[in-house]
Amino acid sequence: MSVVLAWIVLLPLCSSVLLGAMYLFSITKRRIAQRYFTFVALCSPSVVFVLGLAALRELMLRADALHYHAYVWLRIGEYRVDMGFLGDKLSLFMVFFITLVGGLIHLYATSYMNKDEGYGKFFAYFHLFTASMLLLVLAEGPLMLFVGWEGVGLCSYLLISFYYHDNANVVAGNKAFIVNRVGDLGFLIGLAMLFFYGGTYEFSYKTLALHIGTIPPEILTSIAIALFIGAMGKSAQIPLYVWLPDAMAGPTPVSALIHAATMVTAGVYMVARFHFLYDLVPHVGIFIAYIGALSALFAALIATKQSDIKKILAYSTMSQLGYMFVSVGLGAYDSALFHVFTHAFFKALLFMGAGAVIVALHHEQNIFKMGEMRRVMPLTYVTMLIATLAISGIPPFAGFFSKDEILSVAFGSGHYELWLIGVVTAVLTSYYMFRLFFLVFEGTHASHSQARDVGWVMKAPLVALALGATFAGFLGLPELFGGNHLIGEWLRVWKREAFHLSHLVEGILIALNVGAALAGIAIAYQKFRFYDKRVAYQPEGIVYRKFYLDELYDVLFVRSIRRLSRFIAETTDKKLVDRVVMGLSRGFIEAGDRIAWVQNASVRLYAFIMIAGIGAASCYLLVVLR
Amino acid sequence: MIVSSLFSYVLVAMLLFSIGLLGVIARKNIFVIYMSIELMFNAINLLFVALAQYRHSYDGQIFAVVIIATAAAEAAVFLALIVVLFRRKKSLDADVLRALSQKEAA
Amino acid sequence: MNDLLFFLLSFFALFGAFGMIVLHQPVHSALSLIVTLLALAGLFALLNASFLFAVQIIVYAGAILTLFIFIIMFLNVKESNLPKEPNKTLYLFLGGIVLIPLNLLVLRAFYAMPLLREPLAEDFGEIQPLGAALFTKWLLPFELISLLLLVALIGAVVFARKDEV
Repeated sequence: MSVVLAWIVLLPLCSSVLLGAMYLFSITKRRIAQRYFTFVALCSPSVVFVLGLAALRELMLRADALHYHAYVWLRIGEYRVDMGFLGDKLSLFMVFFITLVGGLIHLYATSYMNKDEGYGKFFAYFHLFTASMLLLVLAEGPLMLFVGWEGVGLCSYLLISFYYHDNANVVAGNKAFIVNRVGDLGFLIGLAMLFFYGGTYEFSYKTLALHIGTIPPEILTSIAIALFIGAMGKSAQIPLYVWLPDAMAGPTPVSALIHAATMVTAGVYMVARFHFLYDLVPHVGIFIAYIGALSALFAALIATKQSDIKKILAYSTMSQLGYMFVSVGLGAYDSALFHVFTHAFFKALLFMGAGAVIVALHHEQNIFKMGEMRRVMPLTYVTMLIATLAISGIPPFAGFFSKDEILSVAFGSGHYELWLIGVVTAVLTSYYMFRLFFLVFEGTHASHSQARDVGWVMKAPLVALALGATFAGFLGLPELFGGNHLIGEWLRVWKREAFHLSHLVEGILIALNVGAALAGIAIAYQKFRFYDKRVAYQPEGIVYRKFYLDELYDVLFVRSIRRLSRFIAETTDKKLVDRVVMGLSRGFIEAGDRIAWVQNASVRLYAFIMIAGIGAASCYLLVVLR
Repeated sequence: MIVSSLFSYVLVAMLLFSIGLLGVIARKNIFVIYMSIELMFNAINLLFVALAQYRHSYDGQIFAVVIIATAAAEAAVFLALIVVLFRRKKSLDADVLRALSQKEAA
Repeated sequence: MNDLLFFLLSFFALFGAFGMIVLHQPVHSALSLIVTLLALAGLFALLNASFLFAVQIIVYAGAILTLFIFIIMFLNVKESNLPKEPNKTLYLFLGGIVLIPLNLLVLRAFYAMPLLREPLAEDFGEIQPLGAALFTKWLLPFELISLLLLVALIGAVVFARKDEV
């Protein structure tokens, strides 16, 4: 039993509570200096990262999954649900990059949130998020996964609404939570069905995997779809993606950690974790792949016309997640997780770089008001360039290897339309990413207040992540280039089928991908390298308006629910329930008043009552003493 | 039925008693209330004497005498109280006396 | 003969009692009560209680009720002082109904008893045996009565004093 697994989850939880207590103390009794918060806030992720490495080492020594059984959570008759942790290759892989990227973002955040009055609160929520995410990943069974699932959803909400003085941020947080909830409903239905049909004596992945064959196929399909609905909500795929762009209202470290590197990948992890289920229902997998592909394309289209730097990155996240779901739907779990891994690096880097630019320009977020940042922040310029190249899929950076693998899988599976959508999306991806890059860092600036570069605390994580974005790809080097395809080997057990493409075909595909990416860059260069920003950018059109989907949702769902709520609150509650309840209490009071009249101090009345009592007693005696 | 049996005397006594009781609870005039009380005494007297004859004992009759004496004493005090009441409140309504009530105790 | 007397006297007693509680003016009620008391005295006589017959008339009807009427006139009761009793009849009726069970109960108890016992002694109810019993067996209550009357007298005087200015 490896207790280190429990500590990986427990430590951020404890530090979260500690930070929360310190924060409450600081605002009610005596102010605690920021550096103490910083100390706790940075200690915890570093230690957790080390613990993660220790667990990995133990796993590699043992070649068998790590377990830790904490206590029995539920016991219903013969049925048991344990609070246990499972540390196998998949979960420890996730733990590794979550703690690594997460730790770097923590460091970055200490500078970004400097002098904010909610500093302690921020890191308390951040650590709570880390604990929940690690719990999700290390869970031994679906129920504990769901605990972590809900936890990250909660922290997402808390952190999006962090600047709560502006009502729009709170609305965005609500939107995230509510849309997530819709997904969670599907997830719960899936869990309930799993429990009902697959119930043995324990609700853990191991026993479920053993008994999955006993479930009839129609039920399996339903379960698979229901669980995927949860993933749709959490990982922002069509149709439950609408919360992700609005979630950019939160501070940039939040966007970097939660909405780029970790929480949004929970859906991918979940499908991979339930591979024993999804392997049996390949048609659901195809459905997942199509949703992923459509989401990727859809998001990329919208991103081409956005002007807020963070929103562009949000749509790009959704797009890259689409790629991951294409891969996971087709059964190539290792490719998807490889892309999760590389995406964490370059997406976090992109967000943090964007955050640096925003801070440098005193919280300006419109890219058409930026420009020539190359001159002001050279280090950020270089790291952002690396990240943008990575996401566009240019070798030798990380994104190239992972994206290429996914596209090969799509091509090799025979679903050429998926491959085609992927390639078109790749063109669009490089186009809008470089559009962003050129507008922000090159060209002339339209209007600037004095731009100041940021400190080393924010720059160091950028450098670290840039290194990761550059070299992480080599962990998955395919045989074509003489690599060992380490990640694929590491996660080999999860692959459903082996796709065999000849090296020739693979080479052609790679050339096509790179060509597509370069084409996108070229178009962006032509349009935006020397863009005249003095002309105000007035975007219009259906793409800019995000295909009017938010408005559609509003009309279809939000309005009717609002009307229903108002109806219930005003009519049902006020007229029906209140009348009954208040009427009841008023009835009691009035009855009490009426009865209290008996005490009206009229002696004659008392005498009468006495005599009436005697009469009643006599009646009784008359009857009894017959 | 023999008219002058114990039962008939008891019947008359109970009727008188009931009428007296009725007067106490149904009338507001304080004089009438007092007279009803006296009527009740008398009814009980009748009952005592009838039972005394029934049991060949003088106890009932003597006790009736005691009751009459008590009634006399009570009459004196009661009427003195009525005089005081009339002086204070200028009314002979029994409902005027509400000192037991919380609101008017002050 | 006895029965007829009993019947008549009972009738007057009840009639007077009823009149007492129904009449509005207190003087009328008092006079009605006197009728009752006199009838009752007659009933005492029928029951071989000659002493009581005399005491009833002299003390009860003659003293107590007289005092009563005296007070009514002393207070100069006018119509305006008398309370208005709008629902008198209703209350009397309701009270009557309430009292029926009690009466039934007591009467049923007595109904079970035999009606008359053996013939009485010749001098039952004469004043001598009564006096003997009064001064032997009932001596203490007799003395206490006198004390009671004294206390009542003093009490009445104290109550009815005019308040000192």
